[in-house]
Amino acid sequence: MNKKKGDKGFESPRKSVVVSLYSRIGFVELTIFPTVTNLNRIKLNSKQCRIYRVRINDLEAAFIYNDPTLEVCHSESKQRNLNYFSNAYAAAVSAVDPDAGNGELCIKVPSELWKHVDELKVLKIHINFSLDQPKGGLHFVVPSVEGSMAERGAHVFSCGYQNSTRFWFPCVDSYSELCTWKLEFTVDAAMVAVSNGDLVETVYTHDMRKKTFHYMLTIPTAASNISLAIGPFEILVDPYMHEVTHFCLPQLLPLLKHTTSYLHEVFEFYEEILTCRYPYSCFKTVFIDEAYVEVAAYASMSIFSTNLLHSAMIIDETPLTRRCLAQSLAQQFFGCFISRMSWSDEWVLKGISGYIYGLWMKKTFGVNEYRHWIKEELDKIVAYELKTGGVLLHPIFGGGKEKDNPASHLHFSIKHPHTLSWEYYTMFQCKAHLVMRLIENRISMEFMLQVFNKLLSLASTASSQKFQSHMWSQMLVSTSGFLKSISNVSGKDIQPLIKQWVDQSGVVKFYGSFAFNRKRNVLELEIKQDYTSPGTQKYVGPLKVTVQELDGSFNHTLQIEENSLKHDIPCHSKSRRNKKKKIPLMNGEEVDMDLSAMDADSPLLWIRIDPDMSVLRKVEFEQADFMWQYQLRYERDVVAQQESILALEKFPTPASRLALTDILEQEQCFYRVRMAACFCLAKIANSMVSTWTGPPAMKSLFTRMFCCKTCPNIVKTNNFMSFQSYFLQKTMPVAMALLRDVHNLCPKEVLTFILDLIKYNDNRKNKFSDNYYRAEMIDALANSVTPAVSVNNEVRTLDNLNPDVRLILEEITRFLNMEKLLPSYRHTITVSCLRAIRVLQKNGHVPSDPTLFKSYAEYGHFVDIRVAALEAVVDYTKVDRSYEELQWLLNMIQTDPVPYVRHKILSMLTKNPPFTKSTESPLCNEALVDQLWKLMNSGTSHDWRLRCGAVDLYFTLFGLSRPSCLPLPELGLVLNLKEKKAVLNPTIIPEVVAGSQEFPGSQDEEEVDMDTVHDSQAFISHHLSMLERPSTPGRRAREHHHHHHHEHKKKKKKHKHKHKHKHKHDSRDKDKEPFAFSSPASGRSVRSPSLSD
Amino acid sequence: MADAASTPGASGSGTRSGSKQSTNPADNYYLARRRTLQVVVSSLLTEAGFESAEKASVETLTEMLQSYISEIGRSAKSYCEHTARTQPTLSDIVVTLVEMGFNVDTLPAYAKRSQRMVITAPPVTNQPVTPKALTAGQNRPHPPHIPSHFPEFPDPHTYIKTPTYREPVSDYQVLREKAASQRRDVERALTRFMAKTGETQSLFKDDVSTFPLIAARPFTIPYLTALLPSELEMQQMEETDSSEQDEQPDTENLALHMSTQALPVGLDSCETGVCDLLAVEPLVSPGGTAHPAPRPQACAPLGQMFRDESGAEKENTSVLQQNPSLAGTRNGEDTIIDNPYLRPVKKPKIRRKKSLS
Repeated sequence: MNKKKGDKGFESPRKSVVVSLYSRIGFVELTIFPTVTNLNRIKLNSKQCRIYRVRINDLEAAFIYNDPTLEVCHSESKQRNLNYFSNAYAAAVSAVDPDAGNGELCIKVPSELWKHVDELKVLKIHINFSLDQPKGGLHFVVPSVEGSMAERGAHVFSCGYQNSTRFWFPCVDSYSELCTWKLEFTVDAAMVAVSNGDLVETVYTHDMRKKTFHYMLTIPTAASNISLAIGPFEILVDPYMHEVTHFCLPQLLPLLKHTTSYLHEVFEFYEEILTCRYPYSCFKTVFIDEAYVEVAAYASMSIFSTNLLHSAMIIDETPLTRRCLAQSLAQQFFGCFISRMSWSDEWVLKGISGYIYGLWMKKTFGVNEYRHWIKEELDKIVAYELKTGGVLLHPIFGGGKEKDNPASHLHFSIKHPHTLSWEYYTMFQCKAHLVMRLIENRISMEFMLQVFNKLLSLASTASSQKFQSHMWSQMLVSTSGFLKSISNVSGKDIQPLIKQWVDQSGVVKFYGSFAFNRKRNVLELEIKQDYTSPGTQKYVGPLKVTVQELDGSFNHTLQIEENSLKHDIPCHSKSRRNKKKKIPLMNGEEVDMDLSAMDADSPLLWIRIDPDMSVLRKVEFEQADFMWQYQLRYERDVVAQQESILALEKFPTPASRLALTDILEQEQCFYRVRMAACFCLAKIANSMVSTWTGPPAMKSLFTRMFCCKTCPNIVKTNNFMSFQSYFLQKTMPVAMALLRDVHNLCPKEVLTFILDLIKYNDNRKNKFSDNYYRAEMIDALANSVTPAVSVNNEVRTLDNLNPDVRLILEEITRFLNMEKLLPSYRHTITVSCLRAIRVLQKNGHVPSDPTLFKSYAEYGHFVDIRVAALEAVVDYTKVDRSYEELQWLLNMIQTDPVPYVRHKILSMLTKNPPFTKSTESPLCNEALVDQLWKLMNSGTSHDWRLRCGAVDLYFTLFGLSRPSCLPLPELGLVLNLKEKKAVLNPTIIPEVVAGSQEFPGSQDEEEVDMDTVHDSQAFISHHLSMLERPSTPGRRAREHHHHHHHEHKKKKKKHKHKHKHKHKHDSRDKDKEPFAFSSPASGRSVRSPSLSD
Repeated sequence: MADAASTPGASGSGTRSGSKQSTNPADNYYLARRRTLQVVVSSLLTEAGFESAEKASVETLTEMLQSYISEIGRSAKSYCEHTARTQPTLSDIVVTLVEMGFNVDTLPAYAKRSQRMVITAPPVTNQPVTPKALTAGQNRPHPPHIPSHFPEFPDPHTYIKTPTYREPVSDYQVLREKAASQRRDVERALTRFMAKTGETQSLFKDDVSTFPLIAARPFTIPYLTALLPSELEMQQMEETDSSEQDEQPDTENLALHMSTQALPVGLDSCETGVCDLLAVEPLVSPGGTAHPAPRPQACAPLGQMFRDESGAEKENTSVLQQNPSLAGTRNGEDTIIDNPYLRPVKKPKIRRKKSLS
């Protein structure tokens, strides 16, 4: 803690931000206390903002602005390898990292105040800034229809990945710098500005056309948790909790009402388990369009995607939306109210919020759903770690040298949140809450909740204290503080656990097999580990094994040690089925089993390794098929059932078929298990195709469950009152469509069956919408498609269309057209149709053509449609190796108005790349390398997530080192020399550029080292004179920024000028690039030699 | 048989040859008709309690009555032509009257009122010679409230219906089959029509008509159509909530759904009219007679039709009632809750002058 103060040299107890979005100008006032005597420079974070005046205690202060992240590598640099970029990027982010005391904006304390500072007295910094055409941080949504901004439903909201508040006002953009806030926003009278804290009052401006919203946040909060949403929102006060207010866009109020009607229960749950009141005096939820992420939690408010809203008729979206609500609320406690000390403590917050969210899931959706979710998350993290080589929760950066990077297997630095790949960060959060669950396993839930309660009560005591009491740091959580709390509360030592899962990356991979020794009546279990593959680690410690025998279920705890592979487990059941008696299960239930299938000599029914998932592991266990079948039928744990289903895929026998069918029919069985059984049954049926008897798998079952008694070919009219059968009804046809006959075609019977389901679908008497059901029917049709028999590359025309495909196409056409007239919720049907069309194209039934998808991918379609269409284009790009489409996608990444879509294209391209580093492709050429390089180097500086996405794609396409398609440099050394020269002699190139752009302020002025500026007044006057330069009206067409909110006001004389100015500004920063890396931490000596040698 | 139905304005007056004033038979015809109208107006005035009236006012009222009747005729003709018929039926006239703002419910009672005056038959000189058509059966006598000089009922075979309907299809399978194929046909026809009339996309370069896809059109506010339930769904929700026992035959239900969907559900009466037409159509057709029902005979179906119409109206209002209940929900709660966002916006104080720059 002290270190931080020393770094920064000040603390800021109060901050007020005033933004008038009408003219997009604002000011920030920071009150800071110097903590060191020789504070003469203050560094703040700011991006995009045009700062034109800084005053400290009413004295003009000189400032300098330098943002090395605008262009990471020098544009002249010929280097194209990703290693180089990642290092440079990490260095650039470090150079402005607020936690290290850095920032883009450096303010010099006027010499008159030095004495003042030495006495450690209060400084008031007043910064005037304007925000022009922000490309990130604030997102404007302005539909292009007639009417005023409010009538058009135009709105704006803050967004970003991790600490991104600097994009819209200058601040110390760190989660660890707490202060209280006073926020004022002046907006159009028809708009509502929602921000953090209490709305104190709303006042009209003098002309009565605008309103100013005054917010006060008395709980110390980090700048990164400050947010804003402005729009013509409809307001709904929660009927259960009047201090909670919900906001949505016009016309959606009925949906908002239904969607949020559940929220109070989440509140009650968290408050009860944490035995702590919700920390803020109010809570606001805002639902906005074109959301950056589905859920974003900020102090006392959460911003959601408007697409989470749903009516009472929608089944599938309801649990998803409720989960989002619960997730955001958990983050209100841990993440917003309690903030983190540093980036390496992030896992604690994500872990706790994810963990209590899990508890909520368990209570709301039941233990089965919870265990299923844990298993799902575990599988995800295991798969990711094995693929990429590990996720490290608590990176410790010792010497600070990049050499001992703890995550050298990755193509990005994990030292900063802003350099992380988005996928890595998602997995990071996933692992964090799983580790929290492991801690709970160790110390019990009771202690766990006590620890949380302790953290919260300390924080709330601290939050009510005055700044001077130095208590506020209690509101920040650190790994060590958290661990200390745990050991205080529980008295248990969890250090080994932390060391294994938190301080170290990787998961455990077990291989298990066994033999039964009849003579000794002992189960000889062999457990091997793979700890050499990337992403794995060695596990030493206890491991629970559960053995189900004839006489009951027994838990054994094995000690996994260095060299012991074999474990002898004595069996309890002496004799085998001597008497006909019931078999006791783990949960005390006793059941009758048909034991004829089992091995006569062995009393073992099934064995499970680590049944409670108390190790982050992957288990590959070998046991006989009948054991898996018993496990599926009689083990009551849904995870075990799912594991056995997965294992049975390898045993296509009539017995497996019977076990799966029985599970499918059993109504007490968890619906997700039954759904999984459908797909497994389809696979088994395909493997058994030559010996399969009877109608196609699941057909008679479906008929029995969902069709009319009198006419079995007609499905009953829809009644989705029972959600379990609803999900099963949706899934079964999808799985059935995967069936194949001996010719590897989908049986005609199945196709007719599905077509009949569609034909007789009747939802008129149903209380719920059937849009998801119909969408899945189209998915089923798509699943039934098999590759076309093509006679030497004939052109696909209508005439040679397969008659089955013709029927499918008929349905798709009708569905897709009906969607235009009667759109379904979230256009699920359109999405499925687009996917199905792509499947038809890919299988050669329909000519492969991206035109249709491209038209659906345009801005203005619902985001789900766009993503589905883009996915098809991405796939087309890959399959047809189309350079044109790749360019089209890349262009969209750069120009699309929706940040989420841009991010999504990148991640889809990464997942389904047109080529990879290990394959040859005609697409891979120098121009593409340059283009992508430019994209990640400078094209995405306004969005961390996008930049990291571009890095991921670059890595997938070209790998870490120099892309193979680039011509070999004649001599590596020459390149280095060039590089060195450029760095050593930075003034040469920049001046050329500056000159050519006729930049008003000469290069020298900008580069002046702060230490050398003695006459700050002169410096300022120069800056001011730059600003006062007469503007050139009409230079830029007004329409040019018509998508900005409050454009019509003539108020800003300087606006045009500023705009132009900012433009130049970027180029100026580019010019300064070479010294970007040299500045970290030291903050001085811009002219120090390069670091490249 | 077409002559049986006649427009009300033209009925009951024949031409008189050899008139005093004019030799033109057409003029005579009009004069006679007008005189009859005058008598009607006078008798109505007397009935209303007037002792005497100025000639000018009687003329004016006559003129008004004449225009009104002509308008009924004209409008009824339009309605009948709209449905591709040449002869107006009772329903056309009812629709016309409704359209003109006339409360049809009151008509039967009015016709049977006790104090009504019976007007003497207009002077009939020579009946127009109509070719004797083949008569079959005994014509029905006029009911007491219809003056005897009105035309006679047509031959019974033109309106007497013999119920020849088949056993109602109760077989579940057939009904489902019918509903499904009917819906599919409607959907296909509708989408094809939309595709024909608008821009399309095609999956095959060489063929644009077999699988025409309506072109994707971006929305200005895409989330609205994606999230809000359609009116059809809202209506459905209402129906399934309120009347689970609703046992209408599937086909009609479907027709109604399709129609209300295709047309924007609005408040205007025009829409009600269309609904009526749709509701009426099945009533006419099951009888099996393509012949338009003559007016007098229609007394019995009249009541039935009104019942039906009120039913349709009820359905419409229920849809409409739902909207305010969904949209205007926060009225009740606002008054008691103190939430900062609900507080009134303050007026600026003079003192409070924030300079932003």
